[in-house]
Amino acid sequence: MTFTSFSFLIFFPILICVYWLTSSKYRWFVLLSSSYFFYINTKPIFALLLMGITVSTYFFTKKMHQSNSDALKKKYMRYNIVLILMPLFFFKYFNAINAELIETLKYLHLSVTLPEFSLLLPIGISFYTFMAIGYTIDVYNEEVPFENNIGILALFISFFPLILSGPIERAKNMLPQFRSQKVFEYENFVKGSRIMLWGYFMKLVVADRLGIYISAIFENIAHHNGTTLLFGSLLYPFQLYADLGGYSLIAIGTSKILGFNVMNNFNRPFFSKSMSEFWRRWHISLITWLTDYIYTPLSFHFRKYKISGIVISLMITFLISGIWHGATINFIFWGLFQGIIVSYEAITNKRKTNLELQYNLNKKIWYSCFQIFSTYLLFASSQIFGKTTTINESFLVFNKILFSHGKLFIGQPSTFIFCILGLLMLFINDLTDEYFPNLFLFFNNKNKTIRMLSYSIIIIIILLIGVLDGGQFIYFQF
Amino acid sequence: MEVSLFIFNFNAVMIKKLFSNLIILSLIVFFLDFSLGRLLRYYYFKETSGLHYRTTYSIDSTKANILIFGSSRANHHYVPEVFKDELNMSYYNTGRDGNAIFYQVALLKSILMRHNPRIILLDYAGGFEKGPEYYDRLSSILPYYRSHKEMRSTIELKSPFERIKLLSEIYPFNSKMLTIIAGNFEKNKSRNADEEGYVPLYDIWNERIESITPEKKYNIDSIKVKAFDEFLILAKKSGAKVYVVYSPIFLKMKHSKEIEICNEVCKLENVPFWDYSKDTIFLNNNQFFYDIQHLNDSGAKVFSKIICNQINTQIN
Amino acid sequence: MEREEIITKLTVIFRTVFNNQSIVISNEMTANDVENWDSLTHMLLINEVENSFSIKFKLKDLLNMKNVGELIDIIKTKIS
Repeated sequence: MTFTSFSFLIFFPILICVYWLTSSKYRWFVLLSSSYFFYINTKPIFALLLMGITVSTYFFTKKMHQSNSDALKKKYMRYNIVLILMPLFFFKYFNAINAELIETLKYLHLSVTLPEFSLLLPIGISFYTFMAIGYTIDVYNEEVPFENNIGILALFISFFPLILSGPIERAKNMLPQFRSQKVFEYENFVKGSRIMLWGYFMKLVVADRLGIYISAIFENIAHHNGTTLLFGSLLYPFQLYADLGGYSLIAIGTSKILGFNVMNNFNRPFFSKSMSEFWRRWHISLITWLTDYIYTPLSFHFRKYKISGIVISLMITFLISGIWHGATINFIFWGLFQGIIVSYEAITNKRKTNLELQYNLNKKIWYSCFQIFSTYLLFASSQIFGKTTTINESFLVFNKILFSHGKLFIGQPSTFIFCILGLLMLFINDLTDEYFPNLFLFFNNKNKTIRMLSYSIIIIIILLIGVLDGGQFIYFQF
Repeated sequence: MEVSLFIFNFNAVMIKKLFSNLIILSLIVFFLDFSLGRLLRYYYFKETSGLHYRTTYSIDSTKANILIFGSSRANHHYVPEVFKDELNMSYYNTGRDGNAIFYQVALLKSILMRHNPRIILLDYAGGFEKGPEYYDRLSSILPYYRSHKEMRSTIELKSPFERIKLLSEIYPFNSKMLTIIAGNFEKNKSRNADEEGYVPLYDIWNERIESITPEKKYNIDSIKVKAFDEFLILAKKSGAKVYVVYSPIFLKMKHSKEIEICNEVCKLENVPFWDYSKDTIFLNNNQFFYDIQHLNDSGAKVFSKIICNQINTQIN
Repeated sequence: MEREEIITKLTVIFRTVFNNQSIVISNEMTANDVENWDSLTHMLLINEVENSFSIKFKLKDLLNMKNVGELIDIIKTKIS
């Protein structure tokens, strides 16, 4: 079951009723059991993994709580982190490393037949593992008190709105909320529903539709020309934004209906004027997690090297970010690419601000547009590494974009037009929210009729042109 | 009392407000869904050319004596003039891109309710592996659920919740809006030309032939195989001459599990199965192919002639 | 060292690190109030402070700092 399964549309309303009708004391248990039910409906055996990570985290944080020596606490923290990273490492990277190993051995003329596992990655493992690690470190730093109730801890790690794709939340924000007595509030229900509705729009109408078109391009790189590849690469970031952004909104809206405040994950990232700003507006929960638990300790450790220390910390952090995203060399490249750009920005920042002050550039519209476009182009270029499967493929794409042009591949006209329509709606919405926040209000218009009509129209649009099943395809791709 | 205590946690006014707003919203959505859905339905069935039209024609109108069933390979491989010349019978091609055995069974059921063709030819394209493929593609026949009871059991294979989803009037026409509009314009007839359902392809595939070895694992989906079997049984029962054909493919296949399955089921139902996957006329001639899986019009003409000869030999 | 002296010294550091001669620090000031003060430049500031006041921070100290006022408090504790 995922947010876009039909069964979720049955599961969630039932849960809302049961949840709010249950007395405050036992609501956490309703949530915990429904979270496990939700997760078991993806693949049963992985619920055991989830339980294992919870038990281990509980055990080691309890030991930390009970011991008085800092050295001992540090040891327990490290044990837990290593232990719960092992499944993630194993599932995500075993196949990749295995393949690399076999290649290397072949190269050295040693042929060993190693077992080839076809491992299905447990959904959400990258997300809840990070949440558990964050909690462990927070207990060590005394940012968060040790949670004595294993049920509450289990709920934090398995909370179904967050479990599959985040946002990656913090114990400091969630544990107190799980413990508090909540009262049903109409405002939360309405706000949460609106957020969910827009999330479904982003995911079903924009992201999944773009996905059909973009896959038709990137699964046949050899047969498409540079013009098409360029167009596809420029669209791909929007697909990612609508996909993870939409999904995050559904998670946030779902939590809000249940009375919980979950952090925002995207803040209209494509209006960023630098990559540094971009990383404050894109996948915010992941980036702040990496900043707090990896970058900050690293840059603290290297602080005596001043700007070089910052660069080293950035490179390592982005490398880890790349690896988190995927188990291939492509993602390592991707991470390093990002690290280099942000380091460059950090190094040249003083010079840049001086230039801007000198020529009063910040007041000029063309300069802002230039910054926004170049940031977008940088991100779109880096994502080519993410979308292709090998380094050779990504270089082929760059090569074609620069040198081999031709007619743009439209594919199925229907799909293409739906892509443009959806994207346009999303773009106009974000544009008005960013620059004219009090105008063009629909979901939060003062007039009730306008609000009701807006909700209805979006629902109808989803029914009309949302991608409601996997049967959409573009035939004759070349 | 515990029971009354937690009910009083709610503000009664709040709940009333919530429910009344939900009801208002539902009414608006229902109204919009109903009117737009009906509109789409009306124009869907008023289309005069294109994919939707051909499916509707196949289901509701065709009385041709030779009926071709299958996926895109059926749709692009069997040329009407050849069949009409060689076999002296009326012809219609019900093949449709991207649609597999479920579509073919549903169509056959519908057609047989009002017409008994003399020849039923199924272009076999496999696709019997476990997976969501082809269940999702059942969306192509959602518009017919309402008026074609005989198709309902097949359509309901799409997902356990189809009947609920079909309560929406718009749902059967999801993603079809632009195609419906286009299909109502005269201009679309030339853009999407077909001859008795057959759509010719015109390019030439210029790459070298590849060979593939089959996957180690092939998880058979028994529901799909069952549908294939059902097709053969129904087709035979109608009294028509039934043929199953694996049309040419520009690929050297060492061993195909799909062809194996086809052989077994055809043997079981005593239906002739003609396998052209290894025919050198085609394997050696890339100019007959539009791409790896599809013949172009020239190749289709050559192939159609071969098939007609074989049918003629069979009849005599 | 008195609080006043710390504030004076700190102001100079802020102005240098963040390239802005008009910065005036206050107890409630946070990173949100200063342009260019973010996680990227934070450690540059910390390093300058450590060098200037000849003190050494622990990572835990930094996590607990909510605003400039608390920074000043920690500096004062570390000096004595």
